Amino acid sequence: MTQKERAEALRRRRSAEKLERKSREAAQGTVDMPFLLLTLLLTGVGLVMLFSASFPAAYYETGDAAYYFKRQLIFALLGLAAMFVISRVNYQRWRGMAKLLLGLSIFLLVLVIIPGVGITRNGATRWLGFGELLTFQPSEIAKLGVIVFFADSISKKREKMLTWRYGVVPYVAILGVVGIFMLLEPHLSGAILIVGTGAVMMAVGGMQGWLIGVGVGGVGAVAVLFIKLVDAGVIKYNADRILLWRDPWSDAGDAGYQICQSLIAIGSGGLLGVGLGKSRQKFLYLPERHNDCIFAIVCEELGLIGACVIMLIFVLLIIRGFWIALHAKDRFGALLVVGVITQVALQTFLNIAVVTGLIPATGISLPFFSYGGTALALQLVEMGIVMSVSRQIPAPRNG
Amino acid sequence: MSQNPTRKSEQVRRANRVIKNRTFWLMLIMGVLLFVILFFKLYSLQIVQHDELQAKAANQQMRSTVVTASRGTIYDRNGNVMAISATAETVFLSPMEIEEAQSDKENPPKWTKEFLAKELARILSVNEEGILKRMDNTDSQYEVIKLRADEELADQVRELINEYEIRGVYMVTDTKRYYPYSSLAAHVIGFVGNDNTGLYGLEARYEEELEGQTGLVVTAKAANEHDMLSEYEQYFAEKNGNDLVLTLDTTVQYYLEKNIAEMAEKHNAGQGATGIVLNAKTGAILAMASYPTYDLNDYGAIQNARLKAAIQSKQVSLGDMQLRQWRNKTLNDTYEPGSTFKILTLAAALEEGVIDMNTTFDCPGYIKVSDATIHCTSKHGHETIQQTAANSCNPAFITYGLRLGNEKFYEYMKAFGMMDGSGVDLDGEAKGIFMDPSKFSQLDLACYAFGQNFNITPIALVAAQAACINGGYLHEPYVVEKIVDDDGNVVYQHDNTPIRKIVSEKTSANVRECLETVVASGTGKNGQVAGYRIGGKTGTADKGKTGKVVVSFTCFAPADDPEIIMLITMDEPDESIMSASGGGSVAPYSGKVMAEILPYLGIEPTYTAEELLGADTTVPNVVKLTVDEARQKIKDRGLDCRVVGGGDRITDQTPLGGAVIPGKSTVILYAGEKKPDTQCTVPNLVGRTPSEANTIVSNAGLLLRFSGTTDSSSGSIRVTSQSETAGSKVAAGTVITVQLSDSSVED
Repeated sequence: MTQKERAEALRRRRSAEKLERKSREAAQGTVDMPFLLLTLLLTGVGLVMLFSASFPAAYYETGDAAYYFKRQLIFALLGLAAMFVISRVNYQRWRGMAKLLLGLSIFLLVLVIIPGVGITRNGATRWLGFGELLTFQPSEIAKLGVIVFFADSISKKREKMLTWRYGVVPYVAILGVVGIFMLLEPHLSGAILIVGTGAVMMAVGGMQGWLIGVGVGGVGAVAVLFIKLVDAGVIKYNADRILLWRDPWSDAGDAGYQICQSLIAIGSGGLLGVGLGKSRQKFLYLPERHNDCIFAIVCEELGLIGACVIMLIFVLLIIRGFWIALHAKDRFGALLVVGVITQVALQTFLNIAVVTGLIPATGISLPFFSYGGTALALQLVEMGIVMSVSRQIPAPRNG
Repeated sequence: MSQNPTRKSEQVRRANRVIKNRTFWLMLIMGVLLFVILFFKLYSLQIVQHDELQAKAANQQMRSTVVTASRGTIYDRNGNVMAISATAETVFLSPMEIEEAQSDKENPPKWTKEFLAKELARILSVNEEGILKRMDNTDSQYEVIKLRADEELADQVRELINEYEIRGVYMVTDTKRYYPYSSLAAHVIGFVGNDNTGLYGLEARYEEELEGQTGLVVTAKAANEHDMLSEYEQYFAEKNGNDLVLTLDTTVQYYLEKNIAEMAEKHNAGQGATGIVLNAKTGAILAMASYPTYDLNDYGAIQNARLKAAIQSKQVSLGDMQLRQWRNKTLNDTYEPGSTFKILTLAAALEEGVIDMNTTFDCPGYIKVSDATIHCTSKHGHETIQQTAANSCNPAFITYGLRLGNEKFYEYMKAFGMMDGSGVDLDGEAKGIFMDPSKFSQLDLACYAFGQNFNITPIALVAAQAACINGGYLHEPYVVEKIVDDDGNVVYQHDNTPIRKIVSEKTSANVRECLETVVASGTGKNGQVAGYRIGGKTGTADKGKTGKVVVSFTCFAPADDPEIIMLITMDEPDESIMSASGGGSVAPYSGKVMAEILPYLGIEPTYTAEELLGADTTVPNVVKLTVDEARQKIKDRGLDCRVVGGGDRITDQTPLGGAVIPGKSTVILYAGEKKPDTQCTVPNLVGRTPSEANTIVSNAGLLLRFSGTTDSSSGSIRVTSQSETAGSKVAAGTVITVQLSDSSVED
């Protein structure tokens, strides 16, 4: 090793040490308190509503009214622990894991669709797991994988994002692969969520402005065209789903049952609701009452006012999240937070839009509320990532 | 490291700026816009469509259980239960389940279809074949085999089911209507159909009061039909039906029905008979009977022998005869009243002053009106006004009517409620059938004046007659005195205010005087009741030109201050058996009814000096007294005595102390001698004169009491019936009551 080389190595080590020290110092900043409190609040309220929505089914199915609640609580506690740990980890560490995480995600997505490996529920093979007790959706991992990979990759590209070759093609390819695997499960809503989140990250990350316009306009145009063609009877694929969305009561007893029951639950809540715990629709009328349709029970029990309060908590969490992104120390942090928050916001919007009949039905859960332990835990992990970014926000300069 | 640090930092700044800008806009879209959209959607669902969706929710979440209300009870005026509801059970089969049980290889049944059918048929008294036939409908799950079986029978079926582990036999609780008095006042009470809804009589008329309100328990249910865990229950209390308290008196009703039935059967009345007992001062109906009658507990069955015979001879259908026996002739049917209507003509004529109590009339035996000749029952000759009534003299009453004139007469008919009916609180009252006033001729008036050529209901007539004798007040006759709710609150009380006053008290008194003469010495003498002043009017009306008649008798008592008024009619007595008239055929039975009900109703008998001699007296108890003391005591009571035996003190007596026997009867006193427990044979007294009857009864060792007409001036008075059947054995000293009747009366 030459002197020069040695000096170079030393310089690098010092540089790395300095960086390490700086980042450790930065990581020792305080977690953004509003965001933490909003996260804890949503988790708490979500658990209460899950208990309320799930106890009749739990009672009838298992005899233990708290069956679902207890499981969710365990995962919530594990998730919160993970959140605190991850919030203390320097998020720069995720950079190194980006490719690995994306690779793992795609591997799992392939694994789950191999016959006999994935667990099939309600005709969709979306779960991997060890027996029936501890299961998870690879798509949840994929969400994190895509967000971390995109944040890392986009943050490095700077003006290259304006090019097709570097700014569009690789990401579209990744989203295409992930999306197609998920459609094979099939898991349309999950695919929409991941592709949507990825697209938003591309847009925020510096993609050509006109491409964003084309993308948004194109998606809108396709949607409108699709609906028109279905109405005209040209397209038969998914036509039932669209027609049912237009008039769910036309088949309230069968295909439209879930959405109609959801509308009944929401509508019967009125302004003030029937009272916490007093939902009647959860007594086995409303399918997916503690999963995808939990927000309908929220509306029934707490009324428009309660529903708005809960939406407001989401809104505050989202706005605070983006605030963190705006103040993040670097692009990677900002994009990481944008990805996580966009995904939470999109998922929340899509879930509520589905239960209220605003958009055609698709199975999508409500963050923090819907039953699903691994999903909740991963959500909290993602919040932990946002918090770790928030710890490194430079203190505002005085003066 | 970088070749161009300036350019690099430029790039970084630009990239950072883009990210910040776009993140800001993203924040607005994701954090605000999307949720504003959601808010409007929620507002639309939760506020705008709230009612509609809530109704849908309630519709699927609520289960309502019906709680049957108990139907109200019907009481007579003394609180006797005339109709009451009790729990019963309807037994039904599930042939499908029976079939499954029979073919169950794992648990072979301990019973066969035949065995089950036989046992059910035995317990429930239904047709075994019918049950087997129903079991063959193996697609069915609901075949009723017995509607509303009594609890005891249902218990027996349950035992059967448990003992043999029978499947497919079920019972549902229901209520059943019971009528403790069976046929008594059947036409007034009416009955309920299979759905417990009133079909006839008061049961139908007061359906809304009686049925009550079915209660509802609304519970929230889960989609799997279990009750919801959270307690939600809304209870709409059932309201039991209200009770009816009637003016009817079961005792009065019983005597009325008994005598009407006897009368109708004796005369083989082709179209039945009716009877109404009214409180003359209020219009309260104490009894109302229509013959033929039926058993309310088995209303479909034909009770009357005559109707049964008609069905057997296939002349008529069962349905027609059911309708016939359910008809309340007192108000559903009209008839030509005949001479009983003369009470109204008399009252109107007296009130208008066209006649007075000094009016006399010479009856030539006929009268010419508008070239038509109307005959009288006989040539009565010179008559006082009382005698015109007593003789039921048609020419006299035609004259009274003509003096009133068409217009006045018609006005009175209206005032008496003849046109519109009485307004009685029972269903199906027929209106009177009258000629149009514009066509009302002299001849029509003449016929109307003695009660022919128009039709009215018995109830409307008796209500108008009551107005003639009670001081002039027309009351609506009524049977429901009050309605009491489940908690005992009176929700309805009949108002006794008369509809109108038609004649003056003076006119009314004069009418009463004339009508008392009818019973005392006229065509109504068979309606006499010893100890009571009875007024009345007979009627024998031609039914058009059919040659058939309706005979009737109205009477009231006491004649000077009437408490009750009674009208009995008999439609188409069979004159091939014996000739029929109101006075001859109906009045004797009216007398019998009056003799029973007047004392029962607490109307004190007032005897004339002559009557007092023969009046009933109570035998004093003289046992243990000395012979002399006993003789004196018996004598003081207006009785004779005969002492048997030589002891000092009385050891026994016949009749025993407390017995009521006619005055001047002989009491046998035993002084030491043992009283023989001989039984005397009751002799046949029917057809005997009063004096013959007296002799025969005394010889038989029995005591005699007369009832009915006792007018000794008439040689045609005969015993028509006796209280103890001829040939039966009774204890010595038993009082035999005989009904006397004058067979010579014609109207």
